[in-house]
Amino acid sequence: MTSEKSRPFRLLVVDDEPIVGRRLQQVFSKLGLEVAVFTRGGPALAAMAERPFDVVVTDLKMEGMDGMEVLAQVRRRSPRTKVIIITGYAEQETARAAFSQGAFAFIAKPFRLDELKRAVLRALEDEPAGPRNGAPP
Amino acid sequence: MAGRPQHSGPAPACHPVRLVLERFRRVLAHNNHALELIADMGEKLGGDFLFDQRYILDSLARLTAAVRTSIEALNELDDQRHQELFPVCDRLTAQLRAVAAGREEREGPLLLPLAAIRPRHWGLVGGKFAHLAEICRDELVRVPEGFVVTTRAYHDLVEANGLREAIDRFEGLLSRADAEAAEVEELRGRLETALRQASPPPGLLAALAEQLAAMPAAGQGPFALAVRSSAEGEDLELSFAGLYRSLLNVPAETESLFQAYREVVASLFSPPPVQYRRRLLPGEGPFAMAVGCQRLIEAAASGVAYSADPLAPGGSALIVSGSWGLGEAVVAGGPADSFRLEKTPPFRLLASQTGDKRAGRYPAPAGGLEERPIPPADRNRPCLTPDQLAAIAARVVRLENLARRPVDVEWAIDTRGGISILQARPLLVREPEADARALPAALDAYEQLSSGQGKVVQQGIGAGPVFLVSSQGDLQHFPDGAVLVSRRDSPSFARVMHRAAAIVTEIGTPVSHMATLCREARVPCLVDVPSILDKVRPGMEITVDAEDRRIYRGRVAELATYRAASLNLEASREFRLLRRVVKTVSRLHLLDPLLRELTLEDCQSYHDLLRYIHEMAVSKLVEVGRDERCLLRDHLVRRLDLPIPAGILVIDIDGGLAPEAPPDQVPFAAVTSVPFRAILQGMLFPGAWHRETMPVGFMDLVSSMVNMPPNGLVGQYTGHNIAVISRDYVNLCFRFGYHFNIIDAHCHEVARDNHIYFRFLGGATDLTKKSRRAKLIALILEALDFKVRVKGDLVIGRAGNMVRSEMERTLDLLGRLVGFTRQLDVRLESDASIDHYARAFLLGNYDVVSKP
Repeated sequence: MTSEKSRPFRLLVVDDEPIVGRRLQQVFSKLGLEVAVFTRGGPALAAMAERPFDVVVTDLKMEGMDGMEVLAQVRRRSPRTKVIIITGYAEQETARAAFSQGAFAFIAKPFRLDELKRAVLRALEDEPAGPRNGAPP
Repeated sequence: MAGRPQHSGPAPACHPVRLVLERFRRVLAHNNHALELIADMGEKLGGDFLFDQRYILDSLARLTAAVRTSIEALNELDDQRHQELFPVCDRLTAQLRAVAAGREEREGPLLLPLAAIRPRHWGLVGGKFAHLAEICRDELVRVPEGFVVTTRAYHDLVEANGLREAIDRFEGLLSRADAEAAEVEELRGRLETALRQASPPPGLLAALAEQLAAMPAAGQGPFALAVRSSAEGEDLELSFAGLYRSLLNVPAETESLFQAYREVVASLFSPPPVQYRRRLLPGEGPFAMAVGCQRLIEAAASGVAYSADPLAPGGSALIVSGSWGLGEAVVAGGPADSFRLEKTPPFRLLASQTGDKRAGRYPAPAGGLEERPIPPADRNRPCLTPDQLAAIAARVVRLENLARRPVDVEWAIDTRGGISILQARPLLVREPEADARALPAALDAYEQLSSGQGKVVQQGIGAGPVFLVSSQGDLQHFPDGAVLVSRRDSPSFARVMHRAAAIVTEIGTPVSHMATLCREARVPCLVDVPSILDKVRPGMEITVDAEDRRIYRGRVAELATYRAASLNLEASREFRLLRRVVKTVSRLHLLDPLLRELTLEDCQSYHDLLRYIHEMAVSKLVEVGRDERCLLRDHLVRRLDLPIPAGILVIDIDGGLAPEAPPDQVPFAAVTSVPFRAILQGMLFPGAWHRETMPVGFMDLVSSMVNMPPNGLVGQYTGHNIAVISRDYVNLCFRFGYHFNIIDAHCHEVARDNHIYFRFLGGATDLTKKSRRAKLIALILEALDFKVRVKGDLVIGRAGNMVRSEMERTLDLLGRLVGFTRQLDVRLESDASIDHYARAFLLGNYDVVSKP
């Protein structure tokens, strides 16, 4: 799966539990995405400064920089990047706050991988219209 | 019921029945809630969910709260007579916390014989030997006998030598990316040296001596040992292979073995694995080391085998290479023979290359191995015969099936020709990145028989020829590596699961009993795939991708490559932890609630406790149901007016009878309870309720009177058959003739909540005839996909996780079964008649009962 600039779509995963990144790397690489995985927000944002990502999937509760902060930073630096929040503490309040700050979707852990796949594909389709080499399936 | 706590003191208060029923429902609701939490956790093991450690800990906390609430609800129902359940719950909770904290690897035996290792020991024996213990259960695979020095022994060793604090500090360093390399190295070296010189912990030497004495010496002379590492997580990451030490030809006496043991344990802190962990697995530790000690095979030849060609893992060839003597030459890359064989029987030889084998490694008299020259005549002769090659190939294919991915196997043939498997681990395949990128496009080129449909029970990828199963008998012919396709799921598939490449059914749920078994066998499985039976035919090759829910026509080589190249994340810390937690909470020890031995001491898991609570709650209800004063006072009992003389009294809790139903003599038409109606429908089915009086012999009657428990359940309901019902629930206790029968069923829209519990006891004949009837009922229940236990003349059957229509169909058949077997034991003159009557019932020939 590639973007309009003929590069693969890029997905950034931030979650302080390494298992989350490992599994998402496997799932989305299989779909043809380029996946980068981080367990902390700081280095993840540093990676974003080097190259653009199409979608960011981030945990909410993390030590140091939390998911809301990641969301805010991504929105400021790269407004086109979609942010999907995944968290075990799914509460109405946090979800509402995340949406008001521009999160694309909010998914409560644990979730079916299919659910996140669909959200990511929707986020990619949501890109501003433009010529593309490959469309999401 | 005998064996139950006998309550002394005043008789229980006669509460209004409505209040009792309300409390009973509350117990059921809390119980079900707890069971749902257990089922939810089990479902997460299938790989279709993303979960983290936080989820595991949260779920445990919720489950613990739910179990306690359930106990409180039972106490409320039964006048606070079950206070003793709280300490039991506390004990189980403490045990579970130890599991969740990973502390159970510090408790348990110091040593475990390989043959005695069960899944509950996996935390104690390390990755490699958990796996070997699993494959040595397979009838085809032989693993050299031996035992494992457990992680408990490792922790004892650490404590006894005062190393705990240093190890904790070391693990702290490893989990930090910014730790000073020099500091890590200094501590690493200190630990390695200290463990090499460690003193034995209390009891270890004696235990080793005892195990060695218990290993019978095969053949002549003393035997030697192979001592191998089995670290936790060793099978998680393919490249751990070979990083820890293994020692061959260790003398089978205590002192030498302990020295070898120390060497292997110390390799946990040798440079290569530590570097590896720092680089690739930060935060995965701490790892404890178990050590396997097995009889050393006096190998005539040995080597390795790959179940797939690493360069073309999607192909249909496997590779065997070998040399004379012990297999180190092959592993180290010395001259060897190599063979390429077809992966399917008869494992035709495709190509072979014979190496110039000038030397081989053999056990040295002083321990360890030595190199010896190979006689000239043998140097250029293949070390394996065609028959031996085929035998190795069959085992390698079996092992690939068990592992669900290509495997790298170490094998040895002893001087008498016996084949042993020394090790089996995932085959390391590196997929070129370009190929990985091209996967989505490559997959598009294949025809998809199904896409995005069905539910994932167990993730994974499997390919093979379709084998259709429509009855349990078909399973007898199930070939290794086939894809099992069936209309509905069944726990009976367990017989062949470990040999199946994948399982696909048209009907089924991810929380069925079969689903649990699939996850244990890790067989890729999709259920609820619409009309798959119309799209496949027997023998047709298909590939099931139970990750993306696709089924392809043919073998998709690219997916096989993908499978071989991807990390097995189900071996990761979180999956291992959740698997252990689920095992601990869901293991069921109380299988015979009707038997005398039901005691609180038997409650060894939350699941046991929940079952016990359920039994106690049902007993309370039965007690109330028996007390006519309570029932009649509340005008809640109504007689049922049926065209058969079943004599059933009904207590309607909620919506089980139509609002306009008469206060007495309620007709069948007014029954609105879904499960009860289904049972009655079966009882009323033409022919199922035979009216002939059976010829009961005098001795039959005598024995029934002698064997009637004076105060048992059998005697309680003289004249009354009672059904407690609601819209979606029935608890039917009844006596017909001389036997006692309970059907407890819950049936509504959510398949997972549905269950049927059937038990049957007693009968007016001698024990042999009664046992025959029990067997007959068991046979029929099994055919209806019940999980069945028989003990003497007691039959307990369970089924569940069925959609509502299936529930109704099954309950209808149970109604017919009740009628059919009512007096049948009198007729069961021989064991052969069991099959005869079972077949007649399943074919619908109910009138066979009234025929002489």
